[in-house]
Amino acid sequence: MSENKDNGKNTENFHEYDGIIEHDNPLPTWWLWSFFLTIIFAFIYFLHYEIANGPTLTDELKVSMQEIEKQQAVNVTSSPTETEDSLKEAFNKDGMLNAGKALFESKCVACHGPLLQGSIGPNLTDKFWINGAGTRMDIVKVIRTGVADKGMPPWGSVLKTEELYAVAAYVVTKQGSNPPGAKAPQGQEAP
Amino acid sequence: MNTPSNLIEKIFYDDDIVKKFTLATMIWALAAFLFGLIAALQLAYWPMNGNLEWITFGRLRPLHTNAAIFAFGGNAIFAGIYHSSQRLLKTRLFSDVLSKIHFWGWQLIIVAAAITLPLGYSHGKEYAELEWPIDIAIAAIWVVFAVNFFMTIRQRREKHLYVALWFYIATIITVAVLHIVNSIEIPVSFMKSYPIYAGIQDALVQWWYGHNAVAFFLTTPFLGLMYYYVPKAANRPVYSYRLSIVHFWSLVFLYIWAGPHHLLYTSLPEWAQTLGMIFSLMLWAPSWGGMINGLLTLKGSWHLLRTEPLIKFFVAGVTFYGMATFEGPLLSIKSVSALGHYTDWIIGHVHSGALGWNGFMTFGMIYYLVPRLWRTELYSKKLLENHFWIGLTGILFYYISMVTAGLTQGMMWRAINKDGTLTYPDFIETVVRIVPLYWIRALGGALFLVGFSMMCYNIYKTIQLAPADQKPEAQVVTRSGFDEISKSSHRNLEGMGLAFSILAFLAIAVGSIVEIYPTLSIHKYISADKIQEPYTPLEIAGRDIYIKEGCYVCHSQQIRPIVSEVLRYGKASTIEESMYDHPFQWGSKRTGPDLSREGKKYPNLWHYTHMMDPRSVTQKSIMPNYPWLAEKDTDFLILRKKLSVMKTVGVPYENELVANADIHAQKQALEITADLEKNGAPKGLEKKEIIALIAYLQALGQKGKMP
Repeated sequence: MSENKDNGKNTENFHEYDGIIEHDNPLPTWWLWSFFLTIIFAFIYFLHYEIANGPTLTDELKVSMQEIEKQQAVNVTSSPTETEDSLKEAFNKDGMLNAGKALFESKCVACHGPLLQGSIGPNLTDKFWINGAGTRMDIVKVIRTGVADKGMPPWGSVLKTEELYAVAAYVVTKQGSNPPGAKAPQGQEAP
Repeated sequence: MNTPSNLIEKIFYDDDIVKKFTLATMIWALAAFLFGLIAALQLAYWPMNGNLEWITFGRLRPLHTNAAIFAFGGNAIFAGIYHSSQRLLKTRLFSDVLSKIHFWGWQLIIVAAAITLPLGYSHGKEYAELEWPIDIAIAAIWVVFAVNFFMTIRQRREKHLYVALWFYIATIITVAVLHIVNSIEIPVSFMKSYPIYAGIQDALVQWWYGHNAVAFFLTTPFLGLMYYYVPKAANRPVYSYRLSIVHFWSLVFLYIWAGPHHLLYTSLPEWAQTLGMIFSLMLWAPSWGGMINGLLTLKGSWHLLRTEPLIKFFVAGVTFYGMATFEGPLLSIKSVSALGHYTDWIIGHVHSGALGWNGFMTFGMIYYLVPRLWRTELYSKKLLENHFWIGLTGILFYYISMVTAGLTQGMMWRAINKDGTLTYPDFIETVVRIVPLYWIRALGGALFLVGFSMMCYNIYKTIQLAPADQKPEAQVVTRSGFDEISKSSHRNLEGMGLAFSILAFLAIAVGSIVEIYPTLSIHKYISADKIQEPYTPLEIAGRDIYIKEGCYVCHSQQIRPIVSEVLRYGKASTIEESMYDHPFQWGSKRTGPDLSREGKKYPNLWHYTHMMDPRSVTQKSIMPNYPWLAEKDTDFLILRKKLSVMKTVGVPYENELVANADIHAQKQALEITADLEKNGAPKGLEKKEIIALIAYLQALGQKGKMP
């Protein structure tokens, strides 16, 4: 590539402003081609997505969500059904309480207090329950799915099943512990 | 032929105004960098706000960005434009009075910003936070600048406009259009207003403005400065005139379309998102045209790096420009945006541009200008050299730490386990991971500031040691170019200032109209079966506190149609959900989690406890405490006026609600306070700002009704 083809031959391509000389070298070929290529790409992209009904972002989300839901469904069906007895057995496993205590202290104390005495959320040591009657099934359900109206967030997507059981097991052991400064009873008294 | 070309004239350039703008640049740069450093330290260690509401991150960040862009960048541009234009046009500036009004007016605006932003007077729109009286002042001063500049062009002795002037023209016209269109708002009181746009309209107009503030305030004027100061300082010819033509027109035409790349995967209609992406890609080559012309102009002058070390700033500045304008189009690709948006990658990206391109180009220009303006030598080339290397190290620390933080967090947000659950469901885990990088970023910022302090000292000594006699010297000029006859139509156009300016205006008008016009009738995009309820009066009061405290600088309100987002935050945001949001609060960064569905997620007491001390509910939170919200009273009476303005801009409030807005708000406040007290919160909060804010937070995501 020869540079400065007509450099200096005529004033047309050779200007001067306040001592700044302006040459008129040709446009770099690679630069020109990258410009053309982006324009061509832009054109095709627009045609595909906006004119030729290519998939929208919502369509793409639908496909990916279906896949995720399939994975989640596999997970649910492969896990055994829970009963009060199966939970009792699961809660008694070794190390459950320690794991439960640690999880409770990192995720739950903010609202239920370090002694489960209640603060933002209700007292968990008395016999009064806002949701359900304090059975293992009820406690696991509340932790897992939360209570949207009352501000209890669902932990099912945060904690694994084992972790969920550990927290519930820890809560069960604190029944009747009568901590100091306990929050006044809320909800119905369990039979 | 009897042309006036032979006439020799003696004129005086107005360098006094250039000196003023140069010194103002230095002073405001110090402020901007210092605010940035404090902000960076607050992210690494939250108590760095000193528990002072005025410098807490949400208010400090707008102060930092406005100072960096409009105070530092603005004064630098004005100094360079006024200095170079007089010489390129061979005439003194049109009016000394206008120049002075321009200078002092602009400094007053900056002072007004420096007072009102810490006090929390804000529109809640990024880089356009300043309230309506200041908006009007900006428009007025910009017109003064424009008149002064265009009249200077009119009385020029050089027929043809050099490429630097093309960029100045595009800057002045476009910034005026951007600022005016984005600032159309209706005042509520002396320092409060609501934009006429809502939701997707406001988002589109705001990012058309925000993106092109980068384009026409931080790019085109600096390209103009590059075209003057780089060949001047290096004493080398400009590489290619025809490249200038091609990249100038393609740049100004394409840039204006690219705004929606800030809104990819949002509820903005997809055609606009697609336009934003493809125009950003097409922008890559025109941007690099500027870099090529800059670097190839310097080709063959590398030996000057030793004798004229200020050239280093230009080389690095233009290189950073090339990097940032490659990264920009890359980040505009939808799938890359999905990863990078809302993360610190974007913060790294803008700072490679702001510190590397705008900062270093300005430093180079000032090192060139000051010895010439004060007719002396630079005090120390050694200090300049040190400034360069320390500053460069600072930028690299900054950029690398932020890109790493952004990629780390982006990957953590989207990580999904085999069983279809999020790997890091707790948002705070993704924050704790990048805090060490926040320290490195603060170190980078500190180094940049140390380098700049050396410059301050160097410039101070240079001026101090300058000769006492600073009387202006006459310049000998002749008229030139008026008898040139050209076959090239562009060459002829360069001789016609008005025609050139009109064409530049048309070039930026096309993209603006095509993108903004359709969304002005927002109702085309609203589904009739989705009913959205407007906020209650108390929620409006709370929303204004949310805006005042700058919550939007760390929290988004926009869930993208991406699997990991839907799993984390709930279903993707819709157009309807923000249709009554004047202004929209989608945000652009997630230092904390998205809040679009925050309502009813936690009890009122959780929010109270969290705002007083976030760590009492989220142990490792880096959010500051907001104790003053429990001390300050909400202004209930002004809600009547607020709702009435909202009604004027199209929110369907009943007349009764507007007339009794304060009574309705007080009633709702009592309900929330009763609930808080029942659960153990302190008494007597019913009039406090915290109650209004809780009302608003509890309303987020709760206003959409399916019939």
